[in-house]
Amino acid sequence: MSAYDEVEIEDMEWNAELGAYTYPCPCGDLFQITLADLRLGEEIARCPSCSLFLTVVYSAEDFADAKEPPAPQPVAVA
Amino acid sequence: MEKAAPAAAEEEREEAAWAWTWGAGTDGQLGSGGLEDHHLPHPLLLPPRCRGRVSFVAGGGAHAIALTSDGEVFSWGRGTHGQLGHGNVENIPTPMLVTFFKNYTVTCVSAGWNHSGFATDSGQLFMCGDGSFGQLGTGDNQSRNLPFEVSSFTTKHVEKLAFGMRHSLVLLKDNSIYGFGSARRGQVGKSVCKNQKLHNIPRLIDGFPNRKIVNLYANGDHSAALDESGQLYIWGRALVGEHDDEQPQAVFPSLSISQVALGWHHALLLSGGELYTIGAYRHQKRETPVLENATAHQFNPTASSSNLHESSSLSNLVKVPSVHGEQVVQIAAGTEHSALVTDKGAVFTWGWGEHGQLGLGDASDQVVPRRVNLGDKSSCSSASLGVYCGSGFTVAVNSD
Repeated sequence: MSAYDEVEIEDMEWNAELGAYTYPCPCGDLFQITLADLRLGEEIARCPSCSLFLTVVYSAEDFADAKEPPAPQPVAVA
Repeated sequence: MEKAAPAAAEEEREEAAWAWTWGAGTDGQLGSGGLEDHHLPHPLLLPPRCRGRVSFVAGGGAHAIALTSDGEVFSWGRGTHGQLGHGNVENIPTPMLVTFFKNYTVTCVSAGWNHSGFATDSGQLFMCGDGSFGQLGTGDNQSRNLPFEVSSFTTKHVEKLAFGMRHSLVLLKDNSIYGFGSARRGQVGKSVCKNQKLHNIPRLIDGFPNRKIVNLYANGDHSAALDESGQLYIWGRALVGEHDDEQPQAVFPSLSISQVALGWHHALLLSGGELYTIGAYRHQKRETPVLENATAHQFNPTASSSNLHESSSLSNLVKVPSVHGEQVVQIAAGTEHSALVTDKGAVFTWGWGEHGQLGLGDASDQVVPRRVNLGDKSSCSSASLGVYCGSGFTVAVNSD
């Protein structure tokens, strides 16, 4: 199998609830890679709903001892 | 009384057979009341009073918006970022009237991955949903769960909308095009400084010749516009060739294009009754057997390709053979699948099928268009049948 696409880590969004960086999957769900995965040098983000996966481009040193990024802003009411 | 009940039930079933959905359903995006995938067409539960009045359906990442000919709006599916416009962040598995617009007449709608937009007959633009890439045009990166008016356009007249994954395009009555949201691939035009990640205030996209723009298109990180002469312009992530473009590029000048549909890595073009594809489906696994049929192979250039860069360079214009001799009258594209309606009123689908988004009864992929069975009672004229796609799902509506 080959990766669906190649995405830079800065184009992924941190999802505190999932504890993972995410990127839209064409099926409607999200490709996910956890901080623990990144610390281990993992490069594959998987979608829990389908067979597709992404190659994540990042610098391993940036995540060697990374702490959790801050939680994103809560949803604002209009 | 005993006899009346089954008759009424049957009538209800017949009443239901005018709008269908199929494909991925886990966020309620099929609008059929449940949260399951469906591999075959299932009734879309729009209220019966909408029958014959649905003029357009916008499909997002996992939500959808139906627009009626008298300007009402219904939304359903994933609501996690407020994209359904009901004032909350709930998923809704059944179409629900967006009551915010009860005193407005909505004329155009669009849906991105998790954001939604609504233009009114008075030219106002309202947006809701995920704003984290500036795609709501508010000047901040906040999300909104009720539609709000975009202030940049209060003195202008918004006519058309097209939203991609994380960006928004707007066409004004004065023929200018604005873009906002993610700018990483050039999809909202030229950035002032290099590596600008996003623009949260609408910006004019220039570089079009002085011809009337008749429509806008967006999906993934792609953007496109079509002018009155049938000339197509594309910008954003590479679709033709290998390089992203911040400036609109006039492409395929020999074609006179009447309709366009964009996916995340492919596009459909309708020109003089002929259907063409550019780009390639990206979902295929490497071990996919090479197709025996040469036309089908051409149509699916990634099948034997082993690397992404290689496949993206095969972005040629490929003519799709006519389907059973029928003329194509309407086209639609999801992220990795495609749909069309023929002059005989038949719906065909092809591409990625893992979630049943082709509606053919299984999860198989298809390399050539295959006919979707909408049931015996569905035979209708092509003019009245519309097909629309969200990321991993498909909607068909008979507007008779």
